[in-house]
Amino acid sequence: MTTVARRDLVSVIIPVGSRHSDIGALHADYRAGLAAAGHACEFVYVLDGPNPAIADQLRGLSATGEPITVLSLGRRFGEATALMVGFERCAGDRILTLPAYAQVDARDIGTLVDALDDSDVVVSHRTPRAGSWFERLRRTAFHNLLAFNTGLRFNDLGCGARAVRRRVLEEIQIYGDQHRFLAVLADRHGFHVREVPVRQSPLDRRAGVYRPREYARGFIDIFTVFFLVRFTKKPLRFFGMMGVSTFVVGALIVLWLVADRLFFGHSLATRPALLLASLLVVLGFQLFALGLLGELMIFTHAGQIKDYRVETIVGGESDDQQDGTSHL
Amino acid sequence: MSPRPHLSIIVPFYNEEENIRRMHAALADAVTPIGVPFEMVLVDDGSRDRTFAIAAEIARSDPRVRVVKFRRNYGQTPAMAAGIEHARGNILITMDGDLQNDPRDIPLFLEKIAEGYDIVVGWRFNRQDKLVTRKIPSRIANWLIGKVTGVPIRDNGCSLKAFRGALIKEIPLYSEMHRFIPAMASIAGPRIAEIKVRHHAREFGQSKYGLSRIYKVLLDLMVIKTVASFADAPLRWFAALALPSAFIGLAALGYAIVDAARSGGEFSLPIAGSGVIFLASAAILLSGGALAELVYRLGDVRDARFVRLTAENSARAAIPTVETHS
Repeated sequence: MTTVARRDLVSVIIPVGSRHSDIGALHADYRAGLAAAGHACEFVYVLDGPNPAIADQLRGLSATGEPITVLSLGRRFGEATALMVGFERCAGDRILTLPAYAQVDARDIGTLVDALDDSDVVVSHRTPRAGSWFERLRRTAFHNLLAFNTGLRFNDLGCGARAVRRRVLEEIQIYGDQHRFLAVLADRHGFHVREVPVRQSPLDRRAGVYRPREYARGFIDIFTVFFLVRFTKKPLRFFGMMGVSTFVVGALIVLWLVADRLFFGHSLATRPALLLASLLVVLGFQLFALGLLGELMIFTHAGQIKDYRVETIVGGESDDQQDGTSHL
Repeated sequence: MSPRPHLSIIVPFYNEEENIRRMHAALADAVTPIGVPFEMVLVDDGSRDRTFAIAAEIARSDPRVRVVKFRRNYGQTPAMAAGIEHARGNILITMDGDLQNDPRDIPLFLEKIAEGYDIVVGWRFNRQDKLVTRKIPSRIANWLIGKVTGVPIRDNGCSLKAFRGALIKEIPLYSEMHRFIPAMASIAGPRIAEIKVRHHAREFGQSKYGLSRIYKVLLDLMVIKTVASFADAPLRWFAALALPSAFIGLAALGYAIVDAARSGGEFSLPIAGSGVIFLASAAILLSGGALAELVYRLGDVRDARFVRLTAENSARAAIPTVETHS
């Protein structure tokens, strides 16, 4: 590879999971797309779980002089982990993550990199988008739920084509399946996130093969992000809200039962509703106590966690810090 | 490099482009005559207007000014915390960036610190704000905070406060805790004084706080109470929660058994079941307490730091004392 300044180099990270199309053709497409946009680039393929066939094919490409690094994980760790592993081995200041199957039109990936000029994270929005009405509904529901929970409006977080500045990934640790929420987490850390429209690849026509398990996982993911974004520093706001409402419902049932007993003479001892009421009261207590436990954890570690990110310090012989990267 | 400033004045700004120059001038006029080396730490809390540009301009012409710019808007507590982190003085003074506090009060705070107080808080006895939306809720909140935390301060919401740097830098500040700094600091058993300060009505810009905070204040209060007053024995606190639950459980079970014996074998399932649920809850709460002990052992708060801090300030009661001066 010719020497390119780190500043100008675009590192492309491609995590290869169980779903992938013909890597040779895909690589040629991506390479042509970036070359057309005038970017010098290196490719880092991360095989998420051993895949000797692909590894051989990539090694073959590498032998022909393509700037390719191949990393292979011993087992499946998830796309986000694969991305972080790739990130540790890449050299560029601008990082482009691309899916191992056709999602976006390769002619448009240059625009993602260009959009980094005035932002830190660029996510793509495939438009116009093919798909059945059911898939559209599912997608809208997901993004609406996310917007409702985090206040951030995105249209296509499932798209694997994203461009990210190096400092973002130096600061944010993602793992498991959190790659989808990179934009949300980055926004949370005060980075500037942009969504850029790209054309959908004509080959991206996957029928909806979502099983219930994937829905459940998606839902749990949203919940995790919701919690990470909103309540990591104030667990009692979350647990307290749930605990108090559970307690209040239980207490109301108890009141009703007691009134019934006192004024209408219905015996308390034969009413199963009493069980429900005490269960709710106790559950409310437990949830609240959990929240307090969370608060204790944060309080005892408050010295290590920092709430804020400093961008610059100006004046006053600011010899110690000049940028926020020292606040990891 | 100039000598370390003795005094740091920390002012958070959020969209205060009209006020920041006036604030800087007023501070310089008020503090320069005192004759101690000082610095101003201006924290730009992710303003969207020209606040940072103006602040940076001020910093270039005045070497006593440092500007800390946030990447985005984080809120008042993080802004205070960042200011405290980057301040280099022995004495730290915090105030609002909207000119409602009067910098001419600063010498009074320094006098109190010189007298040996660790924290001096301002009391806006002649507050220039709307009665219904600002003053009355604040009155109630202050009363409640005083009752619950045991640190009876009349005006927790006043940003104008002075601290000994060594003390305040050790106090964990997060979430929206700036209102409770004295209560948080009470873990270290400081001497707290309260003095009357001037308060001016807002001339420019928008007020950024409203009525919606009450719920948050209540929960934060619970947190402070737990972390501050039970810092040494969380298990005891959880045990206090578990005991009533255990008592209710035992009482219900006992009643069910006695009742069954009396009525000849007619065992009341709902009552006995409730008893078991409450007993189980007591057990879980106690385990939670044990977990809390574990968290504390591994955390960094139970350091000898606080003890050392109070020991430095001679033998004092661990109960914070608040004295009011006019």
